[in-house]
This record gives sequence, structure tokens and C-alpha cells, in this order.
Amino acid sequence: MPAPRQRLSTRIVALFLGLLLLVQLAGFVAIGASLDASARATLAHDLDVGQRIWQRVLAQKSLALTQGTTLLAADFGFRSAVATSDADTLHSVLENHAARIGANVSAWVDRDGSVRAASLDTQGPDTEAELRRLAADMAQRAQGSQVALLGERAMQLVVVPLKAPLTIGWLVLGFALDQALAQDMKTLSGLDLVLLVPGIDGLPRAIVSTLPAAMRSNWTHDDGERRSLGGKLMQLRSVSLGAGAPAQAHVVLLRSVDAALASQRELQWTLLLITAAGVLVFGVGSVFTARRVTTPLRALTAAADRLARGDYGQPVLHQGRHDEIGHLASAFDHMRVSIAGHQAEVHNLAFLDRLTGLPNRASFRNALKGRIGSSEPAGQLAVLMFGLDRFKHVNEVLGYAFGDRLLQAVAGRLAAYGVRGDDLIARLGGDEFAVLLPGADAAGAQALALRVAAALEQPLVLDEQTVDVSAAFGIACWPQHAADADALLSRAEVAMYAAKRKTVPSLVYDPGIDSASAETLSLLSELRRALEHDELRLYLQPKIRLQDAAFIGVEALVRWQHPSRGMVPPLHFIPFAEQTGFVRALTLWMFEACAREIPALQALGVQRVSVNLSTRDLLDLELPQRLQQILQRQGVTATAFCLEITESAIMDEPQRALEILETLSANGFKLSIDDFGTGYSSLAYLKRLPVDELKIDKSFVLAMEQDEDDAKIVRSTIDLAHNLGLSVVAEGIENASLFDLLRDLGCDEGQGFHMCRPLPAAEMAAFAERWRMARQPQPALVESD
Amino acid sequence: MSRHCSRPLLFVACLLLAAAAQAANVEVQLLDRNGQPLADAVTFLESAAARAAVKPAPGIEIEQADKRFTHRVTVVPLGSAVRFPNRDKVRHHVYSFSPVKTFELKLYTGTPANPVTFERSGIAVLGCNIHDNMVAWVVVVETPYFGQSTRSGQVRLDDVPPGSYRLRAWHPDLPPGAPALDQALVVGAQGGKASVRLPV
Repeated sequence: MPAPRQRLSTRIVALFLGLLLLVQLAGFVAIGASLDASARATLAHDLDVGQRIWQRVLAQKSLALTQGTTLLAADFGFRSAVATSDADTLHSVLENHAARIGANVSAWVDRDGSVRAASLDTQGPDTEAELRRLAADMAQRAQGSQVALLGERAMQLVVVPLKAPLTIGWLVLGFALDQALAQDMKTLSGLDLVLLVPGIDGLPRAIVSTLPAAMRSNWTHDDGERRSLGGKLMQLRSVSLGAGAPAQAHVVLLRSVDAALASQRELQWTLLLITAAGVLVFGVGSVFTARRVTTPLRALTAAADRLARGDYGQPVLHQGRHDEIGHLASAFDHMRVSIAGHQAEVHNLAFLDRLTGLPNRASFRNALKGRIGSSEPAGQLAVLMFGLDRFKHVNEVLGYAFGDRLLQAVAGRLAAYGVRGDDLIARLGGDEFAVLLPGADAAGAQALALRVAAALEQPLVLDEQTVDVSAAFGIACWPQHAADADALLSRAEVAMYAAKRKTVPSLVYDPGIDSASAETLSLLSELRRALEHDELRLYLQPKIRLQDAAFIGVEALVRWQHPSRGMVPPLHFIPFAEQTGFVRALTLWMFEACAREIPALQALGVQRVSVNLSTRDLLDLELPQRLQQILQRQGVTATAFCLEITESAIMDEPQRALEILETLSANGFKLSIDDFGTGYSSLAYLKRLPVDELKIDKSFVLAMEQDEDDAKIVRSTIDLAHNLGLSVVAEGIENASLFDLLRDLGCDEGQGFHMCRPLPAAEMAAFAERWRMARQPQPALVESD
Repeated sequence: MSRHCSRPLLFVACLLLAAAAQAANVEVQLLDRNGQPLADAVTFLESAAARAAVKPAPGIEIEQADKRFTHRVTVVPLGSAVRFPNRDKVRHHVYSFSPVKTFELKLYTGTPANPVTFERSGIAVLGCNIHDNMVAWVVVVETPYFGQSTRSGQVRLDDVPPGSYRLRAWHPDLPPGAPALDQALVVGAQGGKASVRLPV
């Protein structure tokens, strides 16, 4: 069984897996999108919270610093020093007390708003000036805090008034936003923090960062919402440093995207694992399911193939199942049994002879082929074939039903006598029987032939009638006589017919009796070629009305102008053509050739052209129609023709011949019985035929000069014909005395070498002229060429 | 300052003393920035004669009660010794960082033994280190002619000899450290009248 291009199981599995994958993929995408959204929301929320925490941290720090500063400002010693000291002391006090509460910078602004002292923990070129400016600004606001840039540091500046007890000035303290704050922020919020201030080069500079060293990188003014730091994707949130803070300084809060997505990743991996497991389970399941479906399907296919090959012996599998497959298998099996039954019946019809119950020709041939095919190289066998003598006669005389019973009786005898166990007897058809003798040689077959002949010799009694049955036996042996079954059968048949001809009981095939066989085939093809290549010639033999010697008719004859063998006489190919059926084509050719000549012949006074019809022609129901077509084509009438039929031709199939003859007669053709007197036609039958003419066979005519009996036959035939209203034609008139004799007997027309031998159609005109000239002085004498 | 007086100055003082014999009253109307009568304003007349005539006033006290200075503003002539009696049960720690007089009376009850003598003219702000809300002012003047406005914003300075003076006016609501307003005033035999508008 060829594997189907697309196996059902593959398709089922592919479909199942595809659908599962589709569903899983959709789920995966949906869950992934939802997880992603949730992760984003989480990130945003974390950063929101971080932002609030940062603002609160900043505010609280501011508050703490303000409180610290306020306390410092309330310190009596400090106040006393500030209020009463000289500039140097003031500076020193400021520095000292600022350091106490951890301020990085400090300034003292008096009531007039002028900065009286400024102190920094580090020295920068412009930072003191900047501090003074900032302190003056802050003093204007009297109280509060803000983040400001001082050099490259972000300072939380706090201003408080100093009262002694009235406000005598303002104390400004600055606290750098430092790593500790950032760490606090990180501890509180879990977020990383980077404090960016504008660097000298204008680019943001990270002065505080909780990021590990690997993730430090350069910053730009716009780093977007996400960026990769040290290979980690971070979500960013830029947060201002509070009201009043310089815009270019800000804090960036960072949350690791990977960390936020970690749980999502884990979930996705789990999903993937479940999907993979699902695909595996589904795959195994669908393969199993598909197998459950397709395995029985394959078994059923194999069963169907076995049925197609004619193997009905094996029951169909899977009938035990209770599903559709099981039903199908049962149906298949019913079909198998039913087909097997039908097949056996058909086989019987095809291979058994219904009449005798014996194997028929086809069966015999198969058996023979089988034997030859399966035989060992050294093996041999023989075929014995025989036909009953005179069986046709029995049929005619005693009826077909009797004939059938006779055949049945013969078959019975064959079975009862002289046939060995593994010999095969068959009725080949008609009265022909054959016996296959495996392992036998010609001698063995001849021995059997003798036994069968002996069995048949005992008279058969049927319907109280005793019938003598005899047969002619032909024997052919394999492998001596033929290589295959068909050739062997035909050899046996040749031998049988040869035995019939030679009237011997049996004959073993010999190439000598079949010499024609090879020639026959080549002759047939040559004849076909002759017709196609226009090698046939139409010859005409004039018919003379005896009464007045007028040239009134011709008989059409055919000659074969063979390219290599020269002119071939009709006897060499007409009988063969009749045997093979080729004669039908020949007849039509003749008829058409004559029809062409009719106008010319009629001009010469010819009234009728005689054309011979063969036995085969008379069995051809289409003949009348074909002749009509030729008449129409050539534009001549049927009355210009006389169709000659031999007695034997009519007698082979009297009923069918009669039908055709009546049709032809009705169509206007004249009909003539050829070679009258040679057959066995009864006058009673003759009377029923629509014939117009009798043609006396030349054997009688030639002999009538010497033999009185023949003369009597001729005379009485002429009388008989005339009495039946038929005209009489004599052939074989070879001399003037026969001419005269027949004329005197009242014969109507004659033909023969005395008048003219057959001539090519073209020479008719010349003959007519010669005949007319010869007839004038002496009508009976014409020189033939 | 009087120790540095020269002879011509002494002469002038004599003139003033002579004039004092025929002294008159000066009435000053004090108004706030809206022209409304201004209470508690300090007003005083300065001149060389007046400076010569100043003498410390005895027995001036700046009392604390109910964690307050009983008087917000106390005007004292130059050289006066001021006592600070504490009427509260809690201790006070009165101090001044003003350049006029820097002092500190550390955590005391009752009246400290040593009074505080104000030897420079000007305005001193007093506070309490314990109680930040306690504020009082001491205006040290170098003249005997001074007074504080009543609720109607009027001050009457008695027995002012005629002459040319600087009329000074001050109020605690003026910005801290702001000096007293200063304007000329000539006092005649019948005395004088003036109106001062303070930016408070």
C-alpha cells in the first residue's frame, strides 16, 4: 500500500497540537501582557511611593535641621557671643556652633541684611561669595529652608532668626545632601537614588549615589524613563529637590525593572513548563488517539486492497470494536463474504460449460497456462482435442435439443471412462472437447485417445434413438510442439482437423500438417496491403446469349497483381480469404469496381454484371446496406447486377441467408445459384429462394459430351429451371459443339473459353468489337487470345 | 560728658539756668503713621543745657511679675541705677546685649543686690534667658526733660526753660535698633507745643 501523502494521524496530531499551542499562546500573550502591565504599574507605584518618601525625608530633614538650628539660635552663649562679639570672634563662634550640629556651612546676616560672617567646611573659589548671596536671600525670607547648590554640592539651607530677645539677625546653616541621606532613603523605600547636580562641564554629575560601582555611569539631561545601567534595566523617576531648589539639580530614583519582573518571569517560566508538559501529554494522547483511529483504517485499507486483488479468504480485522470503526469493519466483512459468493458464481458462469457442467474453453486455457507456468523445466504435458464427426448433421436431422443431450451424454462418458484423476476435461465449444494430460507425452495421449474412442464407439441411446458417435483426435505436446498454451491449443486443433481430413482416428501434431499456418498470416497482411495499394485487378468474362450469340453479360473475377510474385490466380487466395473472412472486403471491392465499369459496359450492350457472394457475405446482415451505399455512390441501379451464390453458402445458415437474399432481391438485385448441382440443396428449399437464375457447374458441362448421364443432368436441370421460371447459365463452354448443344437444349446463356477467357475490364470494348465482327458472317467462332 | 564741659559751655548753662527760672511747659502730641494718638511713646528734649542739667534718678525699679516686665518701657536719666526686683516665684535671668548697657543678672529671685547703672544714653533691650517672651526697653536719656505718652498720645514736659532743643521721640514698635526720631524745637517763655508722627 503506498503511504498516503498526508497521513490522517499526522493531521490529527498536528491539528490537536496546533490548537493547543494556539490556546496556550493566546493565554501566554494575555497573561504576559497583564503581567507586564502589572509590573509596570508596580514599578510606577514603587516610584510614586519612593517619590513621596523622598519628599517626606527631605521635609523631615528640613524640619530637623530647622529645629536644630532654632535650638542653636536660642543658646544663650551663642546669642551672647553673636550679639556682642567682634567680627573674628563672631566667625569663630559661628564655625564652632555650626560644627556642633553638623552643618557644613553657616552664615550670619544682621538686621540690615548684610552678611556679617560666612563659614564653609571646604573652600572653593566662588563658594563663599555664593554662600553669602544665598544667605542674604534666605535672610529675606526670615525663616524656612530650601535646597540650593553650593559649588558642586546640594545644600539644604535653613534660616532662623536670632532673638536677643528681639530679632537681631539671621542664622543660616547649610547641610549637604549626603550619602547617609541617600542610604536612609534606600533603606526606607528600597529604591536606589542618584543626586544629580550640574557639573563644571554642564553635564549632570552624580554627587550622591546608592548604586553599586558597576552601575555608575554618565548621565545626560534626559535619560528617559528607562535605561540600562551596568547591564541592568532600571526604571527612572526624576524628582525635584523641593520648592525653590534649582531646576538643574534633581534626584533620580531608580527601581530595577528586572527585580520587579522577577516574579512575572517566574510565573512565565511556570506557564512555559505547563505548556510544554501539556504539549507532551497532548501529543502522546493525540498520537494514541490517532493511532486508535488510523490503525484500523489502515487494516481496512489493506482488507480493501486484498478484496481488490481478489483475495477473499481473510476475515477483516477490528470487527470486535463497538464503535463506528467496528461497524465499518463488519460491513467490510459482509461485503467480503458477499463478493466472494458472487465471485464464485461469476467464476462458475465464466469457467463452466452450462450444458455439460464441464470446464469451458477459458477455464481449460487457464488451467493449461497454469500448468505450463508452474511446471518444472523438465515437465511435460499433452493436450488431446477431439470433435464429434457429423455432429452438424445430427443437429440438423434430430434437432438442437437432441444435439445438446448428445453432448451431455458424451461428456458423461468421458467422465466415466478412461480419464485419469488429474486429467482435465473441458468442452471447448460446439462438438469440440479437450483433455489436459499433465505429465503425459504423445504416446500417453494417443493411448487415451484410443480409450476415449472406444468409449464413444458404444452406441448411445437417446429418446429411443440409437446414435453412433465417432470422433477425430488431435494431439499436441508441450514443450515439443508449442511454447505457450494458446499455441498448443491451436496445434492440437490443427492436428484434429488434419485427422478429420485424413479420416484417421488420431493424429499427433506435426509441423508438416500445418505448413500453411505461418504463410497464412503473411498472406493475410499481404492481402490487406493489396487492397490498400490497389494491387487487385478486375477481370471480366463475357456471357453470351446462346440463342442469338449476343454479348449481354459479364461475370466479375478478381486477379492479384502481386508486386513480386506477379499475377496470383484466385485459387491461391480466394479460399484463404473465405476462411479468414477477408472475403467480405474483397466482395465489396469487386462490387464497387464493377459498379464503376457499368456505364462503359452498358454502352457495349452488356445488361448485367454478375458478382459472386461468399458464405461469409451471406452471414453479414449489413451487406444489403453496404451494397446500396455503393450503388448510390456510383450512380447505378441494382438491376444491372446479378449476385451469384453457391449452394453450400446458403446451406450453412439457411435462415439467415434467406433473410439476406430476400432483402437483396427486394432491393432489385437478380440472384443466381452458382455451381448448381454440386451441393445437396433440396428443390423444396430452392423453391423458397428468391433466385432468378441457375448456373450449371462446369464439371457437368465439360463432361456432357462424353458422359450421357451428365448430359441428362444438364438437360433435366435446364428443364427443371425453366419449369420453376428460372433462366439457366452454363459455364465451361470450351468449344463450338458444346455451344451448339447447350443452345439446342434451351440453355439461356453461356460462358467459357470458347467465347472468351476472363479479360481485364479495359479490354471489354475491344472484345465486344471483335465479337460483333466475328458474329456477322459466322456467329459461333471466335478466336480467343 | 559733663566732665568735658568747657567754659563757654558753662556760660551757656548759666544762661539756661537763668532761663530756667522762668521755665514753661512743653506739650507734645504723638501720632502713629495713621495720625492716631500713639500711647507709650517716649519723648525727650535734648540740648547742651539739658545735658548739663541731667542727674541720675534714684530708686528706679524694673519689676518682673507674672513672667513679664511690668513696664515695657522705662525712661531713665543717664547715670541712674536701676534695680530689677523679681516678684515671681520662678527665677529670672535678665540680660541685655545692647551696646548701651550689656549686663546679665543670672538666675535670681527677689531683688539682686547690685543695681544696674546706665552710664550711656541710648536704648537697651532687656530679655530673660529663661522666658523668651519677656521683653522690656530701657531708654537712657541725657536730659531731665522727658516723658511717656498717655493713651491720648500726649506728653507734657514741665519746667522746660526756653531755648533750642532737639525733640526726640521713640516707640518700642519702631524697628529694633532704630534711633529716636529727632527734630528741632524752640521752647519760648510760654513754653512750646509740638506734634510728632512716628512710623509705627
